[in-house]
Amino acid sequence: MGRISFDDVGRVFGPSNKGVVALQDINLGVEDREFVAIVGPSGCGKTTCLRLVAGFDFPSSGTVSVDGKTVRSPGPERAVVFQQFALFPWKTVYDNIEIGLRNQGVAREQRRERIGAILDLMGLQSYAESFPHQLSGGMQQRVAIARAYVLDPDVLLMDEPFGALDAQTRVVMQEELVRLARKNPRTVLFITHAVEEAVYLADRVAIMTRAPGRIKEIMDVASVRKAENWDSYERIEEVMDLESFVHMRTHIWRSLREEKAAQPAE
Amino acid sequence: MRQRTLIGVVTIAALIALWFLATTVLELVSPGRFPSPPDTIAALWHVMLGGYGGGTLIEHVYFSLRLVALGFIVAIVTGVPLGLLMGWSRRAEALINPIFLIIRPIPPLAWIPLAILWLGLGDGAKILVIWFAAFVPSVINSYAGVRNIDRPTLEAAAMLGMPRFRFVTEVLLPGASPMIFTGLRLSLQASWTTLVAAELVGAFYGLGRVLNVAQQDLYPGMILVGMIAVAILGWGTTRLLGLVETRALAWNQAALAAKG
Ligand SMILES: Nc1ncnc2c1ncn2[C@@H]1O[C@H](COP(=O)(O)OP(=O)(O)OP(=O)(O)O)[C@@H](O)[C@H]1O
Ligand SMILES: [Mg+2]
Repeated sequence: MGRISFDDVGRVFGPSNKGVVALQDINLGVEDREFVAIVGPSGCGKTTCLRLVAGFDFPSSGTVSVDGKTVRSPGPERAVVFQQFALFPWKTVYDNIEIGLRNQGVAREQRRERIGAILDLMGLQSYAESFPHQLSGGMQQRVAIARAYVLDPDVLLMDEPFGALDAQTRVVMQEELVRLARKNPRTVLFITHAVEEAVYLADRVAIMTRAPGRIKEIMDVASVRKAENWDSYERIEEVMDLESFVHMRTHIWRSLREEKAAQPAE
Repeated sequence: MRQRTLIGVVTIAALIALWFLATTVLELVSPGRFPSPPDTIAALWHVMLGGYGGGTLIEHVYFSLRLVALGFIVAIVTGVPLGLLMGWSRRAEALINPIFLIIRPIPPLAWIPLAILWLGLGDGAKILVIWFAAFVPSVINSYAGVRNIDRPTLEAAAMLGMPRFRFVTEVLLPGASPMIFTGLRLSLQASWTTLVAAELVGAFYGLGRVLNVAQQDLYPGMILVGMIAVAILGWGTTRLLGLVETRALAWNQAALAAKG
């Protein structure tokens, strides 16, 4: 379960007659357990899209629904990983991950088991009793991903989750996310500025136009990945060297560049 | 750190020496205007052993401390939740803010006559005035503390499906707590200021009463004893609050240090 559907979605900020049109005519379906990345120029409305699914914001026209139900409020079945982590600094790593399970009424023993498993999976075992500020950015984002994954959500929403990390950590996290997503597939909506990241991680990449944001085209990466057997490579740089990868990446780059060129001078 | 302590001790010792020199040795200041160290110590023995202004020093201290504690606790028990509520609910803020705008410009001490008129010279009037004075910083800082919690933190809480009570105790309260403690410190200072003022105006016991009687008796040594006692109590209670704060905000101290 976890089908996301945008139907004729528009979002205008401010008064409806002269407000900022952030999104226009967005139609996008994300299948159950599909990984879709959204790329687009800065300010085109990517974050807005994600917030509509999270239930932090609501469309001005059209509907956003998950499994056929219109989104009306935030909830743990649509877990969010924030760019700035948004951990609770007054709680330990363990307590940060546990709080969502407590809210769901999961019994203590089961909580311990599930948190133990996710800590293992994310390489966080020895940090359970640390506070977030004692960890590096990469480690904090692991905690944030663990906090989301442990809820066993239908949908994972990630807004530039690796944007605040340095290049090396970023690569490690990308590989880790692929590993996690393979082991425990979820519907993922993933926003990024980095085209390579999108192509490496996603089944499909949606390219948006500059503001007011529309969906310009949707690239099917999954079929290429399967045909060219990307998954047989262990490391990200090996995949990135493949001709099929480079081809896909360059196409998206061009498409994005057109949008930037079309941007009026400020 | 140790060097700083040492310098502090030296400074205080030098001041006492200067005081001794100016009053007892050189007699630059007349004892009727400012007491010498021996006068002060004599006054201290007087109030400690024989009693003065209706009681011994311990009794006065106990009396003042008790009132400050009561007033302070009443103020924060009412002020902090109100501030949290105003920070969280725009409707509550809209409702309560106008009342604040009217009451805030009135200095808390200006309430003393009215409080005495209502409640007499006993405990009630003083607790009321302390409450007026200490309430405001508690409310305002708790309010600002909630407003300072960043949006992603609140959204994370919503996403995690936090029930209301747990949201207040595990997100709102800890998130606002650095500012809440700032408010508590200001409230405590305000409590002492108002208590002494209220006791100066009318009281049967307390350090303010000692100061008032000593002034009428033209007894500078006793005035200084009263002032020093208030200073030590104010410092001590602030210190105590600081210890509580350090424990409660351990995560924050370290977070601040980590940020540099
Ligand atoms: N709460 C808001 N109020 C008013 N305008 C908003 C609000 N949120 C977003 N906008 C506007 O909507 C447009 C899209 O913003 P959004 O944050 O979705 O873009 P983005 O694609 O995520 O950009 P970036 O790549 O820089 O993160 C921008 O013009 C932005 O100024
Ligand atoms: Mg964004």
